[in-house]
Amino acid sequence: MKIRLKLSKLSPWLAWLIGMGVVVAAGVGAGLIVFWKGLSVTNLTDLIPWGLWITIDLSSIAVSAGAFSLCAAVYLLGLKRFQPVARTATFIGLIGYSMALLTLLMDIGRPDRFWHAVVYWNKHSLLWEVTMCVTLYLAVLALESMPIFAQFEWLKKRWPKLSGKMSHVHHYAPYLAVIGLGLSMLHQSSLGAVYGVLKARPFWYRPDVSVLFIISAVAGGMSLTVFASMLSARLTRRVSVDDSLLERVAYFIGWTLVLYLYFRFWDALSMTYTYTPGRTEGLQLLTRGPLSFNFWAGEILLGIVAPMVLLLYRPTRTSQVWRMLALLLVVGGVVAYRWDTNISGLMIVLTYLPGEPIVEYTHYFPSLIEVLSGAGVVGYGLLAFSLGVRYLRVVDHRAVEAHAEEKQLTEPATTD
Amino acid sequence: MSQSKMNRRDFLKITAVGVTALAGAQVIRRAKASEPTPASGRKWAMVIDQSLCNGCGYCVMACRAHNDISPEITWNPVLEAGQVGDKKIYLPRPCMQCSQAPCVDVCPVKASHYRPDGIVMMNYDRCIGCRYCEVACPYGARSFNWKAFTEQNPAVPEWGQPEVARRPRGVVEKCAFCYQRIDRGLTLGMTPGVDPDATPACVVVCPVGARFFGDLNDPESNVSKLLKARTSYRLRADMGTGPRVYYLSATEENA
Repeated sequence: MKIRLKLSKLSPWLAWLIGMGVVVAAGVGAGLIVFWKGLSVTNLTDLIPWGLWITIDLSSIAVSAGAFSLCAAVYLLGLKRFQPVARTATFIGLIGYSMALLTLLMDIGRPDRFWHAVVYWNKHSLLWEVTMCVTLYLAVLALESMPIFAQFEWLKKRWPKLSGKMSHVHHYAPYLAVIGLGLSMLHQSSLGAVYGVLKARPFWYRPDVSVLFIISAVAGGMSLTVFASMLSARLTRRVSVDDSLLERVAYFIGWTLVLYLYFRFWDALSMTYTYTPGRTEGLQLLTRGPLSFNFWAGEILLGIVAPMVLLLYRPTRTSQVWRMLALLLVVGGVVAYRWDTNISGLMIVLTYLPGEPIVEYTHYFPSLIEVLSGAGVVGYGLLAFSLGVRYLRVVDHRAVEAHAEEKQLTEPATTD
Repeated sequence: MSQSKMNRRDFLKITAVGVTALAGAQVIRRAKASEPTPASGRKWAMVIDQSLCNGCGYCVMACRAHNDISPEITWNPVLEAGQVGDKKIYLPRPCMQCSQAPCVDVCPVKASHYRPDGIVMMNYDRCIGCRYCEVACPYGARSFNWKAFTEQNPAVPEWGQPEVARRPRGVVEKCAFCYQRIDRGLTLGMTPGVDPDATPACVVVCPVGARFFGDLNDPESNVSKLLKARTSYRLRADMGTGPRVYYLSATEENA
C-alpha cells in the first residue's frame, strides 16, 4: 500500500525526485504568474507571437511519435516482438501529449476557452485539425496506457477488478493502433502545415514542411523511446531490456534519418535558386545568420548526419554508448528543427508597402517566466517517466512473457 | 483465429474507405465554397488617396476613441511611404477586409469570420487567443491584448466616444470598418460613406478628405466612381487576398 522511501540516506533516486520536484514547483509558480498576469510576462510580441512554448509544444508532440509508429509496427505490421518497446513508447506519448496540452494552455490568451476548438469547428484551419487530433489521440493514448497503469501494484491490490478491466483494454490494441496511426499521420504532418500554408511568410510557405515534420517526428519519437529505455536499464537494476530489440529499432531510425536528410536536402536546395523576398532571407538566417549554429551543428551535422552514420554503422550501433549518444543527438536535432522553423519564419517580417517587398528583422529571447514554466513542463515529463519506470515498469522487456501468458489464456475466447 | 484476422482486415478496409470518403467530401465542399458567391447586398470598401494624406494621424486617434482601443494598440497606423518630389508620402493602414482573408482561413474556432457585407469580423467572445491569425496576416493588421486595458482611454472624449465594448485581455483584435456605425446608420436609413454617422470614424475625421468609404456593389457610390475614374492599387495584391482597401497613388502631378 505504502510507497516506502528510505529517508536515512539521500539516494540518487530521492535526489532526482527532489530536483525534479523543485523544477516542477518553479514551473507551477511561473505558470500561475502567467495565468494571473497574462501573456505580458512573456517576451512575445505582435511580431513574434509564438516562441519558446510553441517549440516545447511541437517538440513534445514530435518526440511522442514513437507511440504511433511502434504501435503500428507491432499491431498492424505484425512485428509482435517489439511490443515491449511500443509499450514504453505509448507511455512516453501519453506524457508528451499531456506536456503539449499543458504548454498550450499557458500559450493561449484565454485558457478558459480551450474547449472552443472542440465546439466551434473551422475545418479550414490546420490548427483546428491539430487540436482535434491531439485531443482525440490523447484519449487513444490514455486507453492504450490502461494496461500499463493496471500494472501498478497498489491498484492491483486495492482494486483488483478495476485493474483487470484496465488490463483487458489491451485486447483492443490493434484497433487503437489503427486510430492512433490515422490521427498521428494527420496531426504530425499538419503541425508542419500550420506553418506551410501561410502565404504571408514566404520562408514557411512550401508544401514539404508537413512531410519534414512527420519524418523527423518518427525519427525523434523512436529515438527518445529507445534512449529512455537504454538509460533506464543503465540506471536501475529493476529494468531489464532486450538490447537486440532496441538495436533493431535504432537501425530503422538510421534509415529514417537517411530519408529525412534526403528531403531536407532537396527542400533547402530548391530555396537557394533565385531571390525570393523573405524566403531567401529565411534560409540565410539558418545558413549564415544568427541561427547558423543551430542549423549546421544542431540540425544537420549532429542532428542528422552524425547519428545517421552512428546508427547505420554496425560497430557503433551495437555499442551501447555510441548508440545512446546517437539517439540523444537525433532528439536534440528534432527539437532544434522545431525551434528554428518557428523562429526563422517569425524573425522575418515582409513589408506590405507598395513596390518590391522589403524585409525587416525582429528579435526574440524568452523571458525568465517563459523559461521557468517551460522547464516546469519538461520537468513534469521527466518526473512522470521516471515514476513510470519505477512503479509501472514501463521499460521492462520481461513483461513480454507475462503478456504471452495472458494471450494464451484469452486466445480460445476470441476464436469461438 | 482466421475469423478474427478477417475481422481486423475488414476493419482496416472500412476505415480506409471511410477516411477516403471523408477527405473526398471535404475536397468537394472546399471547391464549392471557393465558387464566387452571387453579388448579394453590399460590399464595403475604403479608398485612401495618398496624394491628399498629410500624415496628421487624426484617424489613428479617432479610431482609438470610437473603438475604445488601448494606447498600446493601433488598428490603423499611418506609415511613412517614401517621397514624391520633396513631399513625404504616407500610407494609412486599416484592416484590408480581405475577400480571401488568411486570418479567417486559419482561425481554429471561427472567431474570425466574414459578414455578408464583406467585413472580416472578430467574435471576441469566441477567440481563444492562439494568435495564429496574427502570424497569418500579411498586413500586420492584428493586435493581441497582452494586458488588460483598464485605464481611462486618453483619446476619449477629445476624439470621440467609445461605441463598442472593450476587448478583454488575451484576445486578438483588429479594425472592422466601424461596423457599429454602419449597422446603426443603416437602421436609421442613412448611407454609409455619405452620412458621417454611418461612416467609419477615420473617414469622418480626416481633415483633408483623403479617405472615402462606400459600397462596391453600388456603381453610383463614391468609391465605385473613384475607382473607375482613377488608377488604384491594393497592398500585396499579388498574394490573392483580395483587399477591400484601395489606394490612389501620389504622383508628381497630384502630390
